[in-house]
Amino acid sequence: MASFAHASEAEMSRILDFYAVRWEYEPHTFPILWNLEGDVVESFSPDFYLPDLDLYLELTTLRQKLVRKKNRKLRRLRELYPDLNIKLFYARDFRALMLKYGKLALFDGLSGTSGQVSQPALTAATPERAPDVDPVPAAASPATAGRSARSAARRPPVRSAGTRSSAT
Amino acid sequence: MTERLADLHDDVGEILLDEATISAKVQELGSRISADYAGQRLTLVSVLKGSLPFMADLMRAIEIPVRIDLMEVSSYGGTATESSGLVRILKDLSTSIADEHVLIVEDIIDTGLTLNYLIRYLRGKAPATLRICTLLDKPARRLVEIPVDYRGFTIPDQFVVGYGLDYGELYRNLRYVGVLKPEVYTEVAVG
Repeated sequence: MASFAHASEAEMSRILDFYAVRWEYEPHTFPILWNLEGDVVESFSPDFYLPDLDLYLELTTLRQKLVRKKNRKLRRLRELYPDLNIKLFYARDFRALMLKYGKLALFDGLSGTSGQVSQPALTAATPERAPDVDPVPAAASPATAGRSARSAARRPPVRSAGTRSSAT
Repeated sequence: MTERLADLHDDVGEILLDEATISAKVQELGSRISADYAGQRLTLVSVLKGSLPFMADLMRAIEIPVRIDLMEVSSYGGTATESSGLVRILKDLSTSIADEHVLIVEDIIDTGLTLNYLIRYLRGKAPATLRICTLLDKPARRLVEIPVDYRGFTIPDQFVVGYGLDYGELYRNLRYVGVLKPEVYTEVAVG
């Protein structure tokens, strides 16, 4: 069972389970920024990968004005990995989803900072995850260190350890 | 807590598609379907409950013999703390669709999750062809890409009711499609 960093992610996993859509939680990490030495200083780990649809799904339930950083990372990701099929779910999208399923009253508890899982549990379960709001530069893994941004798109992403799960 | 009493028309903030507009589009879709399936055995499969008015009007706008069947599947609605299980077929097809040309008739496609499940389920019943007809398409909400063969209207990302579409099982009997006033569901959520 995956350890989710945010309650909205857990809710999304239940929705996907319900409709028998297979998913993996943060299975891949994509380097998106390197320093002059070629070390990875920033990376992106989409929340879900749906293997049957070949689709990555990123949830952000932060308020719209706070998602600028996430949008920037996503733009960078799309530049470097143009073949990647990824969808970003904003807070308004998640709210609409909750409304559709008659669970709007739960939205506040599943969004923003109030939906975050306590940090100790997160650290223990997902050591490679970068926080949504202010991500620290990710440590370069042996598989990605020394690579240039230009070559990144032709190389496979890094597989995260210990966070994989799937439905059905 | 005092439960809010819904007002059929007053709870709608804006009429998105009026009765005449819907009717004209249904006739257009019916003509296209009639031409495309001429000389073939066609079964319309409607997904309850939302597509009921659309199905009733569309089948009468089709000028070739058709069979109809109805399905109903459970909708997601678990709690935040416990799993709500898996989607269930509440009402299955009443006849075989093996080797039949099947057209799924939907009221609206947004995330595509329900339809994705249904397509997989119906493909298992070996129809000759399986196509999709939807009155409304809300692509902004799409999670699963679904090839739509017949589309009535592409609508903006707003919560709509009427012509079969509900909120809390109400408003299905509106003759038009309208945008529900936000205070309607906000009051319910808070209350």
